Amino acid sequence: MDEDKRIVVDNLTSRYPGTTQPQLRGINAEVQAGQVVGIIGNSHSGKSTLCRVLAGVISKIVSAEVEGQWRLFGRRVDDWPAYNAMTGVVLQNPAGQLSGLSDTVADEIAFDLINQGLAENLIQKRIEKVAAQMGLSAQLHLHPESLSGGQIQRLAIATAIATHPTVLILDDPTSEMDPLGRRQFFHWLAGVKDTTVLIVTSEIDDLCEIADSVWVMHDGQLVSKGTPGDVFNHLATDWQIPAPTITQLAQKMNWRMADGQYPVNAAELKEVRYAHN
Amino acid sequence: MRTIELNHLTFTYPGRSFSLSIENQILADPMVAIVGQNGAGKSTLFKLLTGLLTPQAGVIKINGTDFNNLKPIEKLRQVGITFQNPDDQLFNPTVQREVEWSVAQVTDDRDKIATQALNALVRVGLDARIAENPYDLSLSERKLLSVATVLAVDPAIYLFDEPMMSLDWESRRKLTAIFHELADSGHQVVTITHDMDWVAAEFESVYVMEHGKFGFAGSPRELFSDHELVDRVGLLPPRIMAVAELLGDSQTYLSVDDYWQKNHDD
Repeated sequence: MDEDKRIVVDNLTSRYPGTTQPQLRGINAEVQAGQVVGIIGNSHSGKSTLCRVLAGVISKIVSAEVEGQWRLFGRRVDDWPAYNAMTGVVLQNPAGQLSGLSDTVADEIAFDLINQGLAENLIQKRIEKVAAQMGLSAQLHLHPESLSGGQIQRLAIATAIATHPTVLILDDPTSEMDPLGRRQFFHWLAGVKDTTVLIVTSEIDDLCEIADSVWVMHDGQLVSKGTPGDVFNHLATDWQIPAPTITQLAQKMNWRMADGQYPVNAAELKEVRYAHN
Repeated sequence: MRTIELNHLTFTYPGRSFSLSIENQILADPMVAIVGQNGAGKSTLFKLLTGLLTPQAGVIKINGTDFNNLKPIEKLRQVGITFQNPDDQLFNPTVQREVEWSVAQVTDDRDKIATQALNALVRVGLDARIAENPYDLSLSERKLLSVATVLAVDPAIYLFDEPMMSLDWESRRKLTAIFHELADSGHQVVTITHDMDWVAAEFESVYVMEHGKFGFAGSPRELFSDHELVDRVGLLPPRIMAVAELLGDSQTYLSVDDYWQKNHDD
């Protein structure tokens, strides 16, 4: 298939200076345009390192040895201005991602748009739109540092999506949100079109409602990838990853789908319980 | 029995409309969850319980003694807190020194400091990392380290502010086990949390804070059976209830096992 229409990761290995074991070991994967990929795993599985490499943070900002190749829709990280313009990124600790130069939430969202040379009236419209999407309309005039942890995460996401990136890379973007904020975020993500999304999250119930594909990271390796149904029906015990609530319930009640698998999301659960009755 | 007793407690921040006002409340269960929306007063209550804030009126009794009459060292022996963001309480150059620093606030005995610090690090599974800088640990591990700094002091009452937030699954299991160990060994564990699955599955006692007051005290089953209250205070019921709802079942369920108990065919 045409390389310009997918993300390709080819035998990617990465190691931080001063560490003996690589944090990423021989990662191979592909993502088709417009897909949502969920990346899951415990601490030290390599998921944040993978985000940093794909975002270009390694090795543009953080130094690390990197072997192997990866391309976002045909573009390499060496072509940095174009590569950087394609991506919207929210990493762990989003407070550290704020520019530190903005007096208001609105200015912070505008930062990259001004750098892109967008007209002022368009900037204003864009700010209002992404603030509404992230539930920050009432906070636009506030200083970014006055926001709660969950609101800072929503600001980081608003800033990342304001430039209409081709690829969104989100590392645990809801970790500090309350349950309602988290639900609103995944509801928004479900409606995102024309953007390819890589999201690290531990919210597996929400993830299974929206992901096209799930990658499981363990000890720096990509140990499983496939549809949410395939992945969560074949979890290895030593990954220490729980199944979604729907799957746990179906296993306990022995509710299987026609193909023998347990359901992982609402649509599959309804299929199991209603389709054949 | 460990208890927190609040009598006619009032607190207001200067220049802000928020006020905390609690008439009479005794938290007496070994494991207590405090839930409610942001701004309901949960964190303010914790700051009052640790002496970071002083109430304008009223009395806080910890295990029967007026908290404000205790010497600082005695306060640390009675109440320990783990903050939501571990980076708010980690500042030493190594994991070991971080935990030893905490113990050194309550004793000068060097052997005791070393032993209690190491034991706490063993409990959270960080004993192999003692020489590392806390900021080389993952966020989950930094949270467990901040828990170890309190475990090492071993106060009578443990306060946790959003302990499950940002934890990976392995750490969640570890910390839940520690909660039960503490409760079973005569301590009181009081936690602020937004994680209703965890509250439903692990706690017997839950308090809802609303506009600076306690609006509900009871069991998780009682709480989640009161749909009007749950909606009003902006809580999401446990996920198993949302799953049951998909199947047209609006009963109260606390866990997958709870659903199975009530619905499986023998």
